Amino acid sequence: MDSQASCTCAGSAPQDSPRPVSEQKRGIWELMRPVNFGIRSAMVMSGVGAIASLAGIAALALVIMALLGDGSRLWLWMLLAAGLTLAGIFLRIYAFTISHLSAFRLEIILRTGLSEHLARIPLGHLLVNGAGSIAKVMQDDVKNLHAFVADTTPLIGRSVATPVVTLALLLLIDWRLALVALAVLVAGAVCVWLAMRNHGDMQRRYDEEKERINSVVVEFVQAMPVVRTFDDGADSFGRYQAALDSFKAVMVKWLRVSGTSGKIGISMLAPLPTLTALTAAGLVLLRGGLLDFPNWAAILLLGTGMAESLAPLMWLNFFIRKANASALRIQELMAIPAMPEAETGMVPMDASVEFDGVSFAYEGREDALQDVSFRVPSGTVTALVGPSGAGKTTAARMIPRFWDVRRGCIRVGGVNIRDMRYEQLMQSVSFVFQDTFLFHDTIAANIRMGRPDASMEEVEAAARAAQAHEFILELPDGYETMAGERGARLSGGQRQRITIARAILQNSPVAVLDEATAFADPENEALIITALANLMKGRTVIIIAHRLSTIRDADQIVVMDNGQVAESGKHDELVTANGVYARLWRSHEQARDWTLGDRSPDQAQEEKR
Amino acid sequence: MTTQTETVRPAPSLAQTWRRMQEASGDQVSKLRLCMVVSILSAVVQGLAFACFYPLLDAVLAAPADWHRAFFWLGVLAGCAVLDTFFIWQARNFDYAGPIAEVTHQLRVSLGRQLRRMPLEKLYRRRAGELSAVLAGNVDEVVTPMGMLSSTFLGIIVTPVVAMIATAFVDWRLALSMACLFPITLPLYYWRRRAAGRSFRNLAVAHARTSAELVEYAQGLPVLRATNQVGSRAVRLQGALEDLRDAQKREQLYLVWPGILFSSAVQIGLLVVLSLGVWFIIAGSLNVAALVALLVVVVRFSEPLSLLFGISPVFDYMEAGLERVERLLSVPPLPVADTAKTPDNFEVRFENVSFRYADTNEDVLQDVSFCLPERSLTALVGPSGSGKTTVTRLIMRYADPRGGRITIGGVDVRDMSPKRLMRHISVVFQDVYLFDDSILANIRMGRPDASDSEVEAAARAAHCHEFISRLPEGYRTRVGDIGGCLSCGERQRISIARAILKDAPIVILDEPTAALDTESEVAVQKAIDTLVRDRTVIVIAHRLSTIAGADTILVIEDGAVAQSGSHAELLEREGRYRSMWEAQQGAKNWHFSSATD
Repeated sequence: MDSQASCTCAGSAPQDSPRPVSEQKRGIWELMRPVNFGIRSAMVMSGVGAIASLAGIAALALVIMALLGDGSRLWLWMLLAAGLTLAGIFLRIYAFTISHLSAFRLEIILRTGLSEHLARIPLGHLLVNGAGSIAKVMQDDVKNLHAFVADTTPLIGRSVATPVVTLALLLLIDWRLALVALAVLVAGAVCVWLAMRNHGDMQRRYDEEKERINSVVVEFVQAMPVVRTFDDGADSFGRYQAALDSFKAVMVKWLRVSGTSGKIGISMLAPLPTLTALTAAGLVLLRGGLLDFPNWAAILLLGTGMAESLAPLMWLNFFIRKANASALRIQELMAIPAMPEAETGMVPMDASVEFDGVSFAYEGREDALQDVSFRVPSGTVTALVGPSGAGKTTAARMIPRFWDVRRGCIRVGGVNIRDMRYEQLMQSVSFVFQDTFLFHDTIAANIRMGRPDASMEEVEAAARAAQAHEFILELPDGYETMAGERGARLSGGQRQRITIARAILQNSPVAVLDEATAFADPENEALIITALANLMKGRTVIIIAHRLSTIRDADQIVVMDNGQVAESGKHDELVTANGVYARLWRSHEQARDWTLGDRSPDQAQEEKR
Repeated sequence: MTTQTETVRPAPSLAQTWRRMQEASGDQVSKLRLCMVVSILSAVVQGLAFACFYPLLDAVLAAPADWHRAFFWLGVLAGCAVLDTFFIWQARNFDYAGPIAEVTHQLRVSLGRQLRRMPLEKLYRRRAGELSAVLAGNVDEVVTPMGMLSSTFLGIIVTPVVAMIATAFVDWRLALSMACLFPITLPLYYWRRRAAGRSFRNLAVAHARTSAELVEYAQGLPVLRATNQVGSRAVRLQGALEDLRDAQKREQLYLVWPGILFSSAVQIGLLVVLSLGVWFIIAGSLNVAALVALLVVVVRFSEPLSLLFGISPVFDYMEAGLERVERLLSVPPLPVADTAKTPDNFEVRFENVSFRYADTNEDVLQDVSFCLPERSLTALVGPSGSGKTTVTRLIMRYADPRGGRITIGGVDVRDMSPKRLMRHISVVFQDVYLFDDSILANIRMGRPDASDSEVEAAARAAHCHEFISRLPEGYRTRVGDIGGCLSCGERQRISIARAILKDAPIVILDEPTAALDTESEVAVQKAIDTLVRDRTVIVIAHRLSTIAGADTILVIEDGAVAQSGSHAELLEREGRYRSMWEAQQGAKNWHFSSATD
């Protein structure tokens, strides 16, 4: 089960509504652009192949003519029929090969393009959308395009060419019978059109209900594990069922309304009505001596092709809809604007960090940060504290440009971070956040991510400083053990220490830390704290503190409240000032002393009274 | 996990698909069968209609032309056409007269019901996204094409067979040549699908790797960006992408031949029939009318067959969907003994319980025994992964143990209906799920028949009343409307109010304050104090000071109870608890800045 509404750091992140993709640039056709040439060739080949096949059938009429006549050129016509038919087959194979190769190429182009785009958008989007769902778009949605691009596009060429060429051939052979075949088709089409009129409203209601079903299903499923511990899901099942009921009602109604037209369409597109009409008209003309038998035979061979080639178009819709939904998700991701790149690659002058009148708001929300200013001199420790939702995590995340400021600016080493090349910023500042991410690679390689050219000794030294060396040696292959989701089972605390080692090795002058709220177990906790202390040595540190006791000796404590800096100073000063910090401190002490099942102090006081 | 295993399965046989379709259609199965029967009738009539061309053309080409006979057969043809239209109309009633909507509805209802009764272990193992995909998308993929696709498929098989039998009456040699060609197409179709299945399997490996690399890439971006290993410079990702393309190209080759043969079978067949026919005519053993009729018939089969080729992905989607639906529906619920018993007290007892998770071969719990007296407070402590959460899950009958038993008030949890069992237990998790409904409804979930004032009383007891009253519409405020405005602590307190309202005698707390900041923590702590009064409480807590007052502390290590006793007793002894306590006390008095000196 995915964890729902996880209450940790991401809880304060906003739910960005997907950006609308501009109308004219939507959908699968736009996405196929890079392989347009291949796809178009495939469609043309497939169309030409269909034409060749049809011509091959028409040539059968010539064979019949020769058989009924004196037999002259019989073999020529047979060869022609065979040649055209085989040409049709080969063109079709060719078309499918091209479309498949194009589809494979498109997959690579799209995935590389997406991965590049991801590297240019603010990291905050990854946080909001979740790395998992973004990876899903890159994997599954790109994959979903395959059936359409590879298999369906040649079918389109064929479905377009067949009716047109059939009609042309029919007209060429005998215009009267051609009109009969067309009349049946048109009659069918008119019936469908008449019955389909004014269905826009119904379609819209259907789509709405469908949308609702989808969201109700998601809620039902997500809540299930929790709900099951309450009432075996009876209550939420009721909600689910209610949505299903109204969906069914709309669906039944819609099917009823569109039923007649659908059934007429299907019946008319079946071959027998056309074939019967062509036979009847042909017999009449033949008896009147107005038609040659070979021509009639040709018409009978080709005549139903027009109606029949329309049938796949009904299925095409299925594929197009499926592919389009994926295409739109891909485009939504591509539509997230990239972070503006600095034109001048300025380099920080020292290790100070400064917030200068920084304001920021998540999209469609009130300000998360308002006019936040503070300065962290080189080599000092500043703690950000405050109640949850005060903006401390947001502020810390502004430094690696998860989001860009609305107003004001953030300077590292005296340089506006937006004037630095992004890699420069990421090299100057190391970040240790709560989400400990390890690559599926060796532990050594994971630590070395911090500085790719580090020697093994340096990696080991970093691991020692991060209190990780000992447990790494105990792993089956030591530093060469594979880590990551598919690798060795490391506890949360061990993973955390490896990421700390990575940051130590990176050796950047500034470190931004998020002190984890929940450690794996008490022994790990002590090790992690030592590791963090080693990381902080000799650096400018900004630490988001959740437990006040650990940051009591910080050079500066910045207390945030409602997105603003409420007060700042040293611990003792702030406690005396009796402001927000003093309040936090008191509740901290109270929380620390809580013992489950005991009566809390204020209850005891109530009792006394 | 499951997505990888399912691509490995071979393509199901037609009979299997048909069986699954019947199962999926529930009580509409008779209508589905009717649709099939009528579709077969329609295909038979079509075959017969095509056969009319033999006598019809024969009459026209007779010398002199027998117009009377020709028009008679035209009449028969027209009759067939009318009959066929009628049958098609009937068959399509499955799609348009409601059964499809009914099947969709019932399938979703039974899937929903299944989620309510399948063992929690099986439920937790499935990702929410995967389950919603089955309930929403797969159901549509299964039901929408069900009738239409089967009709098309049946038509493609039945019509040629009927036409072939009719041909046998005219000329057995031509019928034989048809017989050699058309039945071949079906094995070809399956050959192609098997080949596709094989290549799916090979591709699945490449896809799994790309997928894993993509997830890693997205998760690792902050790190990758710092070292500029992004986009086309992301070596590992690019490697996986290229591997995938190579695999795709390779597999494509295997698919080419069956595909070509299949989609061209009719056209090649046409050429063979033509050649044979011409040969027979020249030899004088066949007349031209029969050959023309035969060509008219054979040409008819070309379009439907290539259509089948084009729509076979729809079929694949349907089959994959059917399989997923079936797999979900086939998870058996945990058995409940017939003698539904009710406990008269709430002592929780583990007797030699061993447990392992499905598909693993390592016991998470080994021979665990303990007793939690009624109204006692018991804490579970130990390193992560030691089995603490498993203990609490087994009380809720998340899954059944391999050995031993768990009793509540002397009654085995397996002898209680799930509903009754859950009535005795309240759980407060670290994560809180709130519905997009009013706060009132969210709390009332704890006891659906509670009055508004009872809900309010529970909210007061959980220290929620104050902040709820401040919300724009108080208790009527919809959670979705304020969304992120509720802090984690507030959400947690709502969930505690739910548990207080439920008033269950057993309370399980799984690190309920771990994710909270200090101020929220104090409020949640107060709420918990109300909740746990006079109940049998089991708590998992990381901060040992929190549970120092517990009646019993069970130290769980490597799936077994390593130590048990009160805080004071455990501190006296050498052991895990004491070392944990000391480590934590050390960490507590520890200040960052002092270490930087």
